[in-house]
Amino acid sequence: MITAQSLRKRYGDKVAVDDLSFEVQPGLVTGFLGPNGAGKSTTMRLMLDLDHGSGETLFDGRRFDTIRHPMREIGAVLEAKSFHPTRTARNHLRMLAAGSALPASRADEVLEFVGLTEVRNKKPSGFSLGMAQRLGLAQALLGDPSTLILDEPANGLDPHGIHWLRDVLKSLAAQGRTIFVSSHLLSEMSLMADELVVIGRGSMIYNGDVDGFVKRFTQSTVRVKTPDASEFVETLRGMGATVDTVPDGDLMVSGVDAPTIGDRAHDDGIRLHELATQTASLETAFISATGASEEYVAHEVNEETTNMLTEPSAADDTNRGGAA
Amino acid sequence: MTDALRFEWVRIRTLRSTYWLIALGLVITAGVALIIAIAQRDDAVDAQLATSVLTGGAEFATFIPIFMAIIGIFATGHEYRHGTIQPTLTAIPQRSRLLLAKIIVVAVTAVIVVALSVLINLVIGMIFWGEAPTLESPFTDAVVGYFVLVVLYAILGLALAQLFRGVPSALVVLLVTPLLVESLISGLSLVPALDWLQPALKFLPFSAGSRLLATQPYDPQGGPEFDYLDRWASGGVFAVFVAIILVIAWTLFKKRDA
Repeated sequence: MITAQSLRKRYGDKVAVDDLSFEVQPGLVTGFLGPNGAGKSTTMRLMLDLDHGSGETLFDGRRFDTIRHPMREIGAVLEAKSFHPTRTARNHLRMLAAGSALPASRADEVLEFVGLTEVRNKKPSGFSLGMAQRLGLAQALLGDPSTLILDEPANGLDPHGIHWLRDVLKSLAAQGRTIFVSSHLLSEMSLMADELVVIGRGSMIYNGDVDGFVKRFTQSTVRVKTPDASEFVETLRGMGATVDTVPDGDLMVSGVDAPTIGDRAHDDGIRLHELATQTASLETAFISATGASEEYVAHEVNEETTNMLTEPSAADDTNRGGAA
Repeated sequence: MTDALRFEWVRIRTLRSTYWLIALGLVITAGVALIIAIAQRDDAVDAQLATSVLTGGAEFATFIPIFMAIIGIFATGHEYRHGTIQPTLTAIPQRSRLLLAKIIVVAVTAVIVVALSVLINLVIGMIFWGEAPTLESPFTDAVVGYFVLVVLYAILGLALAQLFRGVPSALVVLLVTPLLVESLISGLSLVPALDWLQPALKFLPFSAGSRLLATQPYDPQGGPEFDYLDRWASGGVFAVFVAIILVIAWTLFKKRDA
């Protein structure tokens, strides 16, 4: 079990991780979800004492730096390609095994497990991203740890590889291991994870099971087509619903479900031409949950930056003129 | 600590550049030794000749010191260049222990390589010499100084790459400082208005370090006129320079994010 308490990290004025506390339970795959730049990697680096910040992470009650052979208790992979390009996969693992007082034969065992036996004596400079991810997983499993911390392990895997990874993580969790795995893709996480920790801009957005996340952030909307729209809008708002009018005149209603709307329309003698419930997808839920806290939003590409992209020198002058 | 040493030992053994640099260093210095031994085959074997042959001309061309410094640079620089610092620190999170293990393994490697090189060059010398050079000062001091110099270079490389967290900048500092910076300062001291620089010349670290190999008093040969400190004090100047860089690198390694 991992217990993270008040993790905090700032770079100058910029807060990267803001007071994150959560628990990762054994026997389950816990997904760590957030858009790119949300602070997932920084959080994991803080947990492993790679970055200095405030707060504390306990692994079964102990701090990382007090564990004698950390690799035998916590397997971590934070970057896909963290190996020397000419040191063979096998030697890379043997080196780490030597540092953790593990037998060198352990390297061959984990390479076999991730399916890299054939290339174990090859230079990893020629590895694809998918092979690199497999080597990363082998590295994490080297010490047969009870805890796994993986940053974007599915990145670069093909659909077959993602299913393989899911099965591996599920079966490792079933053995009672604690598994904490990050991703910026909800679709990946919904396949792999039982529990979710969702962050945006370094802050906690949601911590709980996957279904709860979907329920909480997938708000269903009801599309109402009616010739009496202007009249009905007021009635719906009076019922506490949020109503948006789409360009073709339809009403998008949220906060009230379709039967209630239909009954009310009947009572008021409002003619309905269409009444349809639309449930947002999981991806939409993720975007609505993290959207407000997204780091690099598209609308930053405004007119000014567009000018600078097309006409660098002219835009430069214009900017100076504007500033003066 | 043993785990960190075992880790470092496997690390240095599984790097092809280790073998290349050592082999190249041994071959080049053996070649230089051969050339000197042939050229001076009719001369008496004095301290200077014996030192030149055994060190492969290290007094004027620091091949093994530079190659061992590069092995030192790779010990720390590769961790950052290839991102292996993350798995390394998750295996051995005690940073001081890791850095100490790197220093020990690199220093021991340097000592072994120097011993090998001196032995090879001695064999080459003996082909031309009737008898082994007499073991007396300054010859013996210069050979001991050679070991010290190479170990210091190796640690310097390691410290520089740890300080810059990468290979290229450490290489540049290692190669450019003695070649350009120190030459520039001693050159400037020849300008009459700048002759106040001359007393400082004996503290230029790389030049001072090379005095560890000296068999004769410093001869200006038209260059700036000043006196170096004695062999071990000059070596001390270089050692202090290395120690300062190592302490800064060590402190930052402990303090900074990995």
